Formats: sequence, C-alpha cells, structure tokens
Amino acid sequence: MSTLNVSNITDGTTTVGTSYVVNGSAKAWVNFNGTGTIAARDSLNLSSLTDNATGTYTVNFTNAFGDGDYSYAGVGRDGGSTAASVSLEGSATPSASSIKIVAVVPNVALRDTDRLTLNVFGDLA
Amino acid sequence: MIAHLWDRLAEAKSRLDPVQSKYRVVFEDPATPDEPAKVLVPDPNWLACALEGNILPPIDTYQRDRDVADGEPKEHPYAEPIGPMTEEEAIEYLIMKDICPSVWRDYKGNRTIMRIVPVELIPTDRSFRNAWRIAA
Repeated sequence: MSTLNVSNITDGTTTVGTSYVVNGSAKAWVNFNGTGTIAARDSLNLSSLTDNATGTYTVNFTNAFGDGDYSYAGVGRDGGSTAASVSLEGSATPSASSIKIVAVVPNVALRDTDRLTLNVFGDLA
Repeated sequence: MIAHLWDRLAEAKSRLDPVQSKYRVVFEDPATPDEPAKVLVPDPNWLACALEGNILPPIDTYQRDRDVADGEPKEHPYAEPIGPMTEEEAIEYLIMKDICPSVWRDYKGNRTIMRIVPVELIPTDRSFRNAWRIAA
C-alpha cells in the first residue's frame, strides 16, 4: 500500500485541505436488514451486528474509536413504506468499540425494520 | 511500516468480495437473565478480511485494549496483522472480540448460554422475538 502525503487536494479550481476530507469522512457505516435473520447489505469498519431483541441491535466496530464521544446518525424504512428512525438505545452509552441502537416506527415503538442505516463520524483509536 | 487498521480495511473493501457466513452465534448474557437470547451476525466484509489474511490484528490486542482507558492509545490498529483464518476460526475470533467475556470465558453455570449454529437454524419468523431462549 502506498501513501500520498499531501496537505491539499484541488480540481484546478477549488482547493480543500486533506484534513477536511479525513475528518469529514464516515469512519464506520452500515446498511442492514433488521428483519428475519438480520444481515448487512454493505458496510465499512464493522466486525458484526448483534440482534438483541425486537428492533434492538448492536453494531460492533473492527477499528475502535478513540472514545465513545463520536457522532452517529441513522435512518430507516419499514416494509417499503413506513419511515423508521434510528436512535440510541435508552439505557446504553456508546463505547469506543460498539454502539447499541433501536429502530423506532411511529405509533408502534420498537420494531424489526427491513432497511436501517447508521453512519459514524469521529476520531479512530 | 504497518498501515493503520482502518486503511487496511478500506483497501480490502475495494478489493475483496464480501462473504456471508454460514454461521450465527446465539447467546444469553448472564448479567441480564431476563433479556432474550441475542444473535451475533458476522459482517460479510469483515469475514472476507478474516479469510484473506494480513488485514486483521491478533485477537489478544483487542483483549488488552479492553483495559485501555478512553482517549489513551490502543494497540489493535497498529498491530502486525495475522494470517488467513478458516471460517470456524474467524467465528471463534469474533466471539472473543464482540461478545462479553462473562458469556464465553467466565460463566460457570450449568446451562448452555452460547451456541454456534448454522444460519438455517435461526427462526426467520420473528414472532415472540423478545422471548427467544437457547433450548436445552
């Protein structure tokens, strides 16, 4: 693997510091099916998913973060038509190596949801 | 110089096809006996890295990093990668990495609280999901 050591990237018109690119990139992300036997469709920097209970999942990172103070966001969809939101599980605190999330459908509360996404931004260990 | 683990993962993702595991790990947490059985699912990109070799760090680096305080330097991103694993070895590695030691190492009870099972044995019908237990 070779390393390109530059402080800026330019397309000839616009120049941006590589620190913006590095700091602004998701360090872990996943798109998964949370129904049936749950399975990731695609991902980066995940080692596993854990199906904890109805609508409750743990995302485990391969390369841990420096601490649990990273930023995370996710959205979902249930059954092809119903919006689902992704939230931090109520009693859980994100750790450097994993995050426990829930899928919430309006008026239903926790629910197994067929399309869930999570993006995590922060400093890696 | 060893590339950072995240760089190795990103490079591997562009090169390796994901591998869906034939196995799942079903386990109960003795610290929360009222909660249902959980199902651990290996990530397909991670499994591809495990089978390929020279990407993932030794499992003992993760175990030592459990005791490292947040914000302190961790060992696993910079450790020398290990060689290829079989799928069975990869599942054992994943158990030690992603499941609490109180389940796979410290449990002294006489009930089975963890099993590695073929994926087809996991019920796809989610009825009573919150009541799933490991059968005796």
